[in-house]
Amino acid sequence: MATVNSRQGERAAGGSRLIRNFRNALPWYLFIAPASLMLLALMAYPLFDTLRLSLFKWGGLGPQTFIGMRNFSKLFGDEVFWRALSNSLIFAIVVPFVTVSIGLFLGVAISRRMKGWQIYRIAFFIPVMMSGVVVATLWANMFEYNHGLFNTVLRGIGLEGLAQNWLGDRNVALMSVMLVPIWQSVGFPMIVLLAAVEGIPQEMHDAATMDGVNEWQRIWGLIVPLIKPVLASITMLSIIGAMKVFDIVLVMTKGGPAFSTQVLGYYLFETAFRSGNFGYGSAIAVVMFAVVFAVAYGYVRGVRIESVEH
Amino acid sequence: MAVDKLASRSTEGSARAHRTPGWWAGSSLRPIIYGLLVVGALVQVYPIFFLLMNTLKTDTQILNTPFSLPTSLSLAPFVDVWTGERTGMFFGRYFFNSVIVLAATLVLMLSISCLCGYAMARGQFPGNGTLHQALLLSLAVPAHALAIPLYFFVGSLGLRNSLFGLTLVYAALGAPFTIILMRAYFMHMPVELEEAARIDGCGRLGVFLRIVVPISRGPIAGMAIININWIWSELFFSLILMNKADVRTLPLAIALYKPAPMTVETVLGLQYAAMALATIPVLILFFLFQRQIASGMTMGAFK
Repeated sequence: MATVNSRQGERAAGGSRLIRNFRNALPWYLFIAPASLMLLALMAYPLFDTLRLSLFKWGGLGPQTFIGMRNFSKLFGDEVFWRALSNSLIFAIVVPFVTVSIGLFLGVAISRRMKGWQIYRIAFFIPVMMSGVVVATLWANMFEYNHGLFNTVLRGIGLEGLAQNWLGDRNVALMSVMLVPIWQSVGFPMIVLLAAVEGIPQEMHDAATMDGVNEWQRIWGLIVPLIKPVLASITMLSIIGAMKVFDIVLVMTKGGPAFSTQVLGYYLFETAFRSGNFGYGSAIAVVMFAVVFAVAYGYVRGVRIESVEH
Repeated sequence: MAVDKLASRSTEGSARAHRTPGWWAGSSLRPIIYGLLVVGALVQVYPIFFLLMNTLKTDTQILNTPFSLPTSLSLAPFVDVWTGERTGMFFGRYFFNSVIVLAATLVLMLSISCLCGYAMARGQFPGNGTLHQALLLSLAVPAHALAIPLYFFVGSLGLRNSLFGLTLVYAALGAPFTIILMRAYFMHMPVELEEAARIDGCGRLGVFLRIVVPISRGPIAGMAIININWIWSELFFSLILMNKADVRTLPLAIALYKPAPMTVETVLGLQYAAMALATIPVLILFFLFQRQIASGMTMGAFK
């Protein structure tokens, strides 16, 4: 009898604890509700719907026809897709590598506060603030064959032979296009790495000075190892940014000539929103998602493994 | 956490760097480094100077004498692109569209993100950890992968060609990052004031609105500053969702504006004026908030 009573008591207490917990949690759920609902509707749902649509053939109107993996097998044989994928990967390797390298050089150089350091910092950072469309339009005008700034200068100084059809020659176009995000974004790794270099305690510099290291050894033996986590995170951000390149390609080349500057983002846009193949476009979106996700996952795993090792 | 650490580290660092002479002061590399910096800075700044100069030049001047300075100083090209009389594109309108979308996105995004970040930092409720994990995962989702369903979803709400529809999309795209950083900030904010207010009988929302928001003005402004840039420049969703001419945002209008040079005396100059219209506010903002922008950008990369 007594045990039954106490058990009932427990159950009652448990129930009221549950209610109390719920009543405590309720205001918090109301706090997170607006953001959660918006993210469910405008991020989670679209993501799953992209995955679903990639298994369908759909022209935007009318019925959606389930075709299984056929969109993906079609991608496999699609030459333009392979061009877009390889160009995106070239972008995602070359642009971050060059940008972060220059940014590291600038950050280290400027961190020593030599004369005029603030002018350099501002000069390199201004393009980061500009909109991609403006930068791309500006560079497209400078790259123009007949009257663009580059060819005018080259002809003016007698280097006629070096004048190129920068955006119209399929061997040169991708390089020209890649130059633009590099120009625009070197200031970003610079500013972040500058903060990281400044964070290195002066004592470590002093100790290195007493050991008689030269500048080269100081950079590679002291600075770079200490700012490695920041270097890794900025590289990953830069890779993801380069995978998503779109504005520049739309404004400068529309993927041409002969698909030499076609990238995943622009091919997705053309396929879905210009040609109306929303199922096939979704398959391209899935590939893009997979690549970006793999890069981010690799970064997180890499950082975790490193932090375990040390 | 990393954010606070970084902030304190970088201020210490700059104070120290001011006191000590450069470690490469006597180095033979010095002239080379200076040379590279000067050339690099010119490469970075000249195109922007070129852009601003070209707003005031005729097509012939732009194309034939690219290095010449403008012969007249007049605001006429800006007036022309603003009113759209000679271009057929009403950049004044697009400018306001962009300003409206920017302001509305910031208000909406910051409101929902602060509420959510605060609850995640202070509240103990089932699902909190899951939400945090989901937000981190969402950072690795490229917006392009959401575009097709979003296009139809926004359309089914009747919000295609609507500045509000674009605002909703932008607020959702920017929210995860903002929530994560606001959560980190709130976790390190002392809880005593809020507890005192609770004892005085203030509800959760009252505490949030009357105490938490006012004392967090700085970080909230910081989050606004680091989001302004991408919202002002965004092209992809604007291009997809805004098909009608009168709802275009500034980047979209610039991308669509294709002048045919040498048809009239100044067509290119007008294009440059439109580009300057999109750039000048950002430059002003940059010079006003240099410090906050730099630390905001740094904060984002350190998370």
